[in-house]
Amino acid sequence: MTKPVDPKVTGPIRNALFPVGVDLYPLDDEHASFDDWYARDLTPDLTAMAAANFSLVRVFVSWKLFEPQVGQYNDDAEDRLGEVLAAIRGYDLKAIVTFFADDRFAEMNDVTWARKRDPRTDDYLIQREVSLIQRVVNRYRTDPAIWAWELGNEAFFTGFESEESLQKWTGALREAVREVDTARAIMLGVDTETLVRETGVDATEAIDGFEYAVSHVTAPYLSYIAEGPLTYGPATYLDSFLLRCGLRTLPVIADGIGVHSLEGSVAEEAAYVRTVLFSALMNRGSGVMLRRWRDMDAEKREPYFRDPYEVLVGLTDTGGESKPVLDEVRRFTRVAAHIDLRHHLPVPERAAVLIPAERHEPLPSLAGLYTPRSCLQSYIAAKEAHLPVTLVREGAPLDDTMVLFIPSVGKLTPSMWIRLAAFVQSGGSVVLSYGGGDTDPAIREIFGVEFLGDHGVRPVVSCRVAQPGLLGDLVAFDARFELPHYALVGGGSATVVATDATGSPLLTLNQYGQGRAVFIAAPLERAIAQSDPWAAPEPIRHFLRTVYGAVACAVGAGPVIDCDDPAVEIALFQAEDSDVVLVISHDMAPRTATLAADRVVASVTDVRGGPAAKVGAKSFGVPLGPNGAAAIRLAYGG
Amino acid sequence: MAGRSKTIIAAEALARQGQVGAAVHACYDALALGDQGAHVHALLASMMLEGDFYDEAIAEATSAIEADPDCSPAYLALGMAYDRRGGMWDQSVLVWHELAEVVPDLVTAHVQLGEAFAAAAYSEEAVESWRRALELDPREARATYNLAIASLKREGMALALPLFRQAGELDPSQDELFFALLGLTDAPIITVDPARVKPTREARLGAAGLALKADDLFSAAELVRAVLDEQPDDSEALALAAYAYLKQEAANEAMACALRAVSLKPDLAIALYCLGVVYARRTGLKRHAARVFIALAKKAPAHALVHVLLAESLLALQRYEQAGKAYRTAVRLDPACVRARFGLAATYLTEGRHAEASWEIRRAAYYDTKRQRLFWRLYDEYTAGGEES
Repeated sequence: MTKPVDPKVTGPIRNALFPVGVDLYPLDDEHASFDDWYARDLTPDLTAMAAANFSLVRVFVSWKLFEPQVGQYNDDAEDRLGEVLAAIRGYDLKAIVTFFADDRFAEMNDVTWARKRDPRTDDYLIQREVSLIQRVVNRYRTDPAIWAWELGNEAFFTGFESEESLQKWTGALREAVREVDTARAIMLGVDTETLVRETGVDATEAIDGFEYAVSHVTAPYLSYIAEGPLTYGPATYLDSFLLRCGLRTLPVIADGIGVHSLEGSVAEEAAYVRTVLFSALMNRGSGVMLRRWRDMDAEKREPYFRDPYEVLVGLTDTGGESKPVLDEVRRFTRVAAHIDLRHHLPVPERAAVLIPAERHEPLPSLAGLYTPRSCLQSYIAAKEAHLPVTLVREGAPLDDTMVLFIPSVGKLTPSMWIRLAAFVQSGGSVVLSYGGGDTDPAIREIFGVEFLGDHGVRPVVSCRVAQPGLLGDLVAFDARFELPHYALVGGGSATVVATDATGSPLLTLNQYGQGRAVFIAAPLERAIAQSDPWAAPEPIRHFLRTVYGAVACAVGAGPVIDCDDPAVEIALFQAEDSDVVLVISHDMAPRTATLAADRVVASVTDVRGGPAAKVGAKSFGVPLGPNGAAAIRLAYGG
Repeated sequence: MAGRSKTIIAAEALARQGQVGAAVHACYDALALGDQGAHVHALLASMMLEGDFYDEAIAEATSAIEADPDCSPAYLALGMAYDRRGGMWDQSVLVWHELAEVVPDLVTAHVQLGEAFAAAAYSEEAVESWRRALELDPREARATYNLAIASLKREGMALALPLFRQAGELDPSQDELFFALLGLTDAPIITVDPARVKPTREARLGAAGLALKADDLFSAAELVRAVLDEQPDDSEALALAAYAYLKQEAANEAMACALRAVSLKPDLAIALYCLGVVYARRTGLKRHAARVFIALAKKAPAHALVHVLLAESLLALQRYEQAGKAYRTAVRLDPACVRARFGLAATYLTEGRHAEASWEIRRAAYYDTKRQRLFWRLYDEYTAGGEES
């Protein structure tokens, strides 16, 4: 049974600017038929959701049920949707209604009369989809329970084979909704990065026409970029990385939060979900959606069988009993509710990781496969340096950026080199690591080094510091670590900051115009990603985050609140009277992180309330349990 | 199989040199030129596997098998891609089963089949597969480690420990550690003639070390004896003698020599190594072994195996948390250390952290199979077979 809300708890319980939601699937039992669509009593589920302070519920329309024959609609199904929405409204929740989703069980898009025509490209079926959408939207367009309309989910969108067909489909259906309902938000329900990985189709332009974007980790993407433990290492950064990838012009909802399999214990599940929830709030997410409310009561099947787009694991078990992960959501919701996002604004990100355009190159180029991994490692290094950091695509404006990290890049477009030169000349800083092959002649001009060739594979990375203190507190090391490439560079205007064991430059710094250009002679980010990101040698990680941190700090893009522990991520929300700092640990070992501000902190308080703890110093310790999180209000002065 | 085109032969050469990008381009060139043979797709699968691009590897290996259902290197690549990717154990079992039948003497196929069975919760079948692997090669360490893990899950640590110890003894890198501590990592294996060694202490001890590395225990003993005749309290000579005794399973003599060497020079790494190893083999001296390995870890902290030895001694004392710390240090120093990965998995299992334990076992398999370079053996056999026919 779900725990009731503690009656002693007072204060806000939801944050209107950061809604927390969950997917409510039509079937919870694998033996159920497609026409059992939301046939069960939803009262216990909705009661528990309200008690856990959820704001949003995603419900799914079944085309198969709604339109059993061409043009003949099932009134019972429409009435049932009305009852579901009324129930949601009754619990003071809001709904996202998703039209064309594939959950692998409810056969929602398997309209028998379609006769195997593709609902994504067949003109006639698209017309039928438009009719369905307009019928449903028209009926509920004034229903206050509707928060947004969503056109589909990723399992459906993976069937698209070209950008053109995707744009045509989304354009037609978006217009269909807009003709009827001009008020409610429309979402597409697809993450550009995971979709491009799965299908090669870039949904960027298609998404731009909507009001919200979503980001989510899919099982195939997880196994591609950060397969491994969920409680430490790259997987704990992946959700926020994808969220940042999706942040361009639209607000992004971190979607599909939850585990993909039952390999981990319930404690590991809870720790992972805690990390993801907090990191969504810390990285400019506009809300979160959990993957599933109730476990799917699956048939007895081979324990190892798993469809990548099945969603089986929920926040409660098949009987509705809550799992530890639901307690995490409840706790997080209360924390989020106590942060006033109208007044407390995140520190602007002046540092950015560049996603090179070569990411979209198809095979046989391997750049499209290497680049996301390198970018993730670069993002992690920036996080370890506690920088407020975001991601920008090659070609996007760099107006707000003061330092740019270009990790292990093979090639940039000629126009990007021109923009990069202008960026540095006008005072920006750039850190570029060599990615193999020939370099562009612009390297000589911007970075002040002469490229002499690729030395190839090296089994050991050595660092000897030639200019101590010039780029942070670098230390000499020799680490067994395979590098796929090493750029031999020489003679130029750049200062050699560190070399390898033979004196060949490893790290150079060049003053170019008003800015600084730093060149790393090895693709360290890619090497970390390709070797063993869970066990990369600490000296190499230290080298990377030190360089990133030093370059960012020199241009004022460094951390406003610093921390002594690289495994701890910090996000600062500033307001006129007080600041709020969110802290999460990306590791399973308990620790005490020491946070350092540039002003004297008079006291700290848990954002949910409670007594203030006096500090009276610029630094203070924050105890964190395994994968722990904390939200602290800072009062300055004294 | 038809003969291979020049383009694909060039691709193979690039692949063997580890030039993944160039090899992939060459394979695509071969495909564009009409060389659609299974071997091209198998080679591409292997390159994708090299880059850890598992979905791409699965697609290429599947194409290779569709082109030729007897393409054994494609099965190998496919099985590895399934295993490394995770979550595809059903397909993995089928592939390894197939490969074990096609190449029955391929020990790794049985080991991998066992791991796929274990991941799919078929414990009995898993144990059977590992036993089959050990029948083919009694020195197969990973099969022994897997049996130890299975025993740990079923019967607890007390019964699993002997298997862990047995697996550790199969590890050739332990000898490499001794020679690394001796400073002979890069020394060639040469025949030493004691009669031609200069009659000085340094020359004799240096030559004795080389003789030990070449497994020439008699020459080593002769040289060490000559040193000890002149200086009975020479700690280094005593440590070398201890190692020679260890190699002959003469534990008492090894312990006596090592103990004497440590009493003369308490921070002599090779003496600490020998003493720790001999203590670890003796029931009742586990605590002593742990102390000695702690001293060795302080003296030579950069060697992963030192931390593994310390961790194993702590494991024997049921100090799992400390053992886990030492294993994690070893993994940080050498992510490819299979022995540390399995040990770490064992400590995770004692804490009920099954997901992390199975992850460490998968990483152990990842590094072990990378090291073996089995793909090239099967590929060469496959292409040679095609050329003969």
